[in-house]
Amino acid sequence: MTEKTNKELILVIDDEESIRDGCRQALEKSGYAVITAENGEEGIRIAKERKPEIAFVDLKMPSISGTEVIDILSRDIPDIVLVIITGYASIVSAVESMKKGAYDYIPKPFTPDQLRAVVKRGFDHRNLKIEARMLRTEKEEMERNFITFVSHEMRSPLLVIEQYLEALRTVAGGCLDKNANDIIDRCNKRIHGLKALVEHWLDISRIESGVFATEKKPVDIPGIIMRGVEEMAPLYHIRELSIETDISEGIPEITGDEESLVRVIVNIMGNASKYTPGGGKVSIRARHDEYYVRISISDTGTGIPQEKLPFIFEPFYRVKGKKEEARGSGLGLNFCKRIMEAHGGKIEASSQVGKGTTFVLELPR
Amino acid sequence: MTTKKKILLIDDDSDFLMATKLILESGGYEVFLAEDGKSGVEMVKSVSPDLTITDMMMETWGEGFTVVSKIRSIEAGKDMPLIMLSGVDLQGPYQSFEPPEESPKVDMLLHKPVKADDLLKYVKRLLDN
Repeated sequence: MTEKTNKELILVIDDEESIRDGCRQALEKSGYAVITAENGEEGIRIAKERKPEIAFVDLKMPSISGTEVIDILSRDIPDIVLVIITGYASIVSAVESMKKGAYDYIPKPFTPDQLRAVVKRGFDHRNLKIEARMLRTEKEEMERNFITFVSHEMRSPLLVIEQYLEALRTVAGGCLDKNANDIIDRCNKRIHGLKALVEHWLDISRIESGVFATEKKPVDIPGIIMRGVEEMAPLYHIRELSIETDISEGIPEITGDEESLVRVIVNIMGNASKYTPGGGKVSIRARHDEYYVRISISDTGTGIPQEKLPFIFEPFYRVKGKKEEARGSGLGLNFCKRIMEAHGGKIEASSQVGKGTTFVLELPR
Repeated sequence: MTTKKKILLIDDDSDFLMATKLILESGGYEVFLAEDGKSGVEMVKSVSPDLTITDMMMETWGEGFTVVSKIRSIEAGKDMPLIMLSGVDLQGPYQSFEPPEESPKVDMLLHKPVKADDLLKYVKRLLDN
């Protein structure tokens, strides 16, 4: 910041000496610091150097016109409030200048009181503008920090509760009967659910804050499928489900965010495992044509009734009548949909009750 | 009579300290607590623990790494077994965090929450070595 007295600084750019002097006298009497310039070039130079809060600019000056001065000052000096000094005859150009960034105008001749009124309005406007910008910056900063905040503030207590439950089991050990142990198991299950919710919600916040948009890189489709399969294999093994993959040759790379696409595959595979009875199968196919790469994930599970299909991608929508084990965060599929949309692609589901469900992920090449 | 082995726990979450202390005490250890890195380092000097467990991310990110290098620089901590606990998901919003280039000289890295059985098993293994 340039060094300044505490007084608010007003610049008057006018080629008429009487106007400059008149303004100076009237405004200095009201406690403002006033600097003057007798032409546009000088005005711009002084303004850049001293960064006044308000500048009065005469529209009709030799060489650089007032409109040009307005143009440059509003562009180069942040938060400056520009007021046009104009004769009645040039109201039209005053309007023109206001379009270019002037805030107000004062017609000649004017009285000291009129001038002071305009200055007061100008400062009010400036303060509001600065305040609004600060609030906006603060809001953006908060939005950015929110993700970090949530992850820390919500995850930490969950983690501590889990650790306490571990401690409880260790300390109380033999004293706990089956019921008590069941209760601890249920607590753990619900904590896991809440943790998954936090994770999904964070994922979604990250999409909304545009993190993914900036991190697009070439993505190898067979690679992300295999990563998903590897991650889910232990769970599938426990649930006695088999995984079949059928990936055609020569699938081109797409541009996107590998991590989030792996999350999508893991999510859908996780869903499939929840609704497919033991002994069932989940098949993953990948194909491409001239425009799209398509990954389909089909299970041999319980299926989703037709009337419920349109809603499954809505946040917190649940297909009723599930077993408790099937409880998820309620955000998984919504997350998948958002990720696909962030890639310019889409996700669709088709299903037959009793036979199974197929999710198709379509990504543009 | 055998003297109990001494374990120092450093973490900025007092509840996490308490929970972990209970688990370690059940394994027959004497547990000392420090709620920040600085007092943790002091306690390594005053208590001379047989093993130290420190959180990875305390108030300032990566403070755990600073704590580890401080501990390693003092006589009592030079060869002491050290376990580092991480509570953050490095794929998440912390992904911009980069551990210091020189890898911290810890004997083991565990993720929170730690299973009681695992913790006791690893602690015993490190102390027996």
